[in-house]
Amino acid sequence: MIDPDGSPGLRRAWSGPDDPAVSWLRPSPLLLRARRIEVAAATVPVAIIGGLAGQAVSAGVGIAIAAAVVLAGLLAERFLARRVASWGYAERNDDLMVRRGVLVRRLSVIPYGRMQFIDITAGPLERALGLATLRMHTAAAASDARIPGLASATAAALRDQLAALGEAQAAGL
Amino acid sequence: MTAPVPAGPPEGSLPARAVPELSALTGDDSWHRLHPLSPLVRAGRRIVSLIVVLVGIPVLNQRQTGGDLVTDVAVIGAALVGGFVSWLVTRWQIADGVLRLDTGLLRRDSRRFPLSQVQAVDVVQSGAARLLGLAELQLRVAGGDAARGGRLACLRLADAERLRGQLLALAAVPAAGLAGPSPGPAARASARVLFRVRASRLPAAILLTRAGAVALLVAVATVLTVQFDGSARVIAPFLPVVLGVVATLWRQLNGQYGTTVVAAPDGIQLRSGLIQTTAETIRPGRIQAVRLVEPLMWRRLGWCRLEADVAGARQRQEDRAEGQRLRALIPVGSRAEADLMLAELMADPPLPRHPAPPRSRWKAPLSYHFLSWNADDRYVVAVRGRVCRQTTWVPLEKVQSIRWVQGPIQRRLGLASVHLDVAGKRVSAVIEDRDRDEAARILGTLPDLARVARSAAS
Repeated sequence: MIDPDGSPGLRRAWSGPDDPAVSWLRPSPLLLRARRIEVAAATVPVAIIGGLAGQAVSAGVGIAIAAAVVLAGLLAERFLARRVASWGYAERNDDLMVRRGVLVRRLSVIPYGRMQFIDITAGPLERALGLATLRMHTAAAASDARIPGLASATAAALRDQLAALGEAQAAGL
Repeated sequence: MTAPVPAGPPEGSLPARAVPELSALTGDDSWHRLHPLSPLVRAGRRIVSLIVVLVGIPVLNQRQTGGDLVTDVAVIGAALVGGFVSWLVTRWQIADGVLRLDTGLLRRDSRRFPLSQVQAVDVVQSGAARLLGLAELQLRVAGGDAARGGRLACLRLADAERLRGQLLALAAVPAAGLAGPSPGPAARASARVLFRVRASRLPAAILLTRAGAVALLVAVATVLTVQFDGSARVIAPFLPVVLGVVATLWRQLNGQYGTTVVAAPDGIQLRSGLIQTTAETIRPGRIQAVRLVEPLMWRRLGWCRLEADVAGARQRQEDRAEGQRLRALIPVGSRAEADLMLAELMADPPLPRHPAPPRSRWKAPLSYHFLSWNADDRYVVAVRGRVCRQTTWVPLEKVQSIRWVQGPIQRRLGLASVHLDVAGKRVSAVIEDRDRDEAARILGTLPDLARVARSAAS
């Protein structure tokens, strides 16, 4: 099995059905950093504002509120690590498999021939870290397959590869 | 900005010759206009409501001033002038297997519909159109976005029917496995009636569904309130709800009344409607899913509804509520009728045989006794539903993606679900709450089965 980030802790994050013949690829480890920055960017201002507001009552209340917010942020961070680790994708001969989720686990199988179009998006934070999100669309609205946190070059290469495979195997509706 | 004038030869633009013969149709690339009375039909709804306002307001409100009347008349006039201009700048053409529809005065809008992509062709007649002998032709293309569909409103009914047959014939030529000649009188004769809804059964059936239960609740609430209060004026706040419920029931009755399904050479023809009639043809091989629905009360009576899902949304805005539901081939019928129709739609469909494991009752206490699935090498069937049992058949060649999903409760119980998605927003067959190993096995085999079915179909 190819495991780009090689951490044994991350391997255990997925407990769904597995195909031993399949090598799962994983988003870049930078995705975890991006998610951490997002959580921190939400936690720190809320902690400061909450603390200052609590200060108006008494110093103890202010500190308690700030501490609670920071604690919630840390808990979210722990959950995040597992969530990020659960993402994975695998290219098989005829289809792409994407897995994700910790609480609700999902594994999607999308035949290359069914892909209508593929797009790549990157927000400001993702761009700063050199990441991108790849999204695959089929004619069914329910099959929402995306892979976040790919290195930009990987995402572009994967898009071109998927598009070529899709064209080769395209099937009518 | 100058109004772009249709460039086609003037003789081709005459509405009386709106539809040429098939031989001319394939080669002739002249432009055609819609029927000149179309603006009247398209404004029909607005005119009716304005007449109600014009007549109703002075009766209800004696202080109606002349100024309001002038405004109303001006609105009608503006609508008619706008409709006429819109008719003037709208033209259509069929050339090289492509239907082109140009419209718009200030913002030109030119659409092209490759006929090989057409999923279904409908002839819709609103009440106003029926009075004038006109009909609207709707082309459904895949993609689910109503704005992408083609709409020729309006043509003469006979022309619309003929054009529909010709479009379907043209559309069928590139498609594999379908003999192409246009359905002439001989083909008409070979059409078989598969189903005709019983007019006496339909109102009862509609009242026995969820909409009927809501209507009953609203009626009881209204009556009770009036009883307690003693005066009829307290009904006022209920009125919007009552109207909404009545409109829902009416829409179902109007849409499903007189449903007749006919197997014709160019596909399955479906006609229905009380005031607004719809005739649509579903091309063989375009059905994405078939669903058998059995609401609680209907099961006692042995009734069921059979719906088919065809890629492509219904066009008219006012049909949006209808579009959420699938097209009912059998609005209400017996199981025997449904089985007959199923055999017509699918070759030897599998019956659900594998019930869910008993421990699934902890996760789905209301529906576990329905949960079941089965598959062969062409179709997958899955049953779900709490009060209302829904059996969904999906042809494997139409499956867009397969998803394995496991929620926290399912994980604790060692269960998992597998979803099969087909084109569109509305349907996916869900094989719910299977044993974890079985779900993994399903996920392992279905993609291969679907791939084989796809390559066999193309």
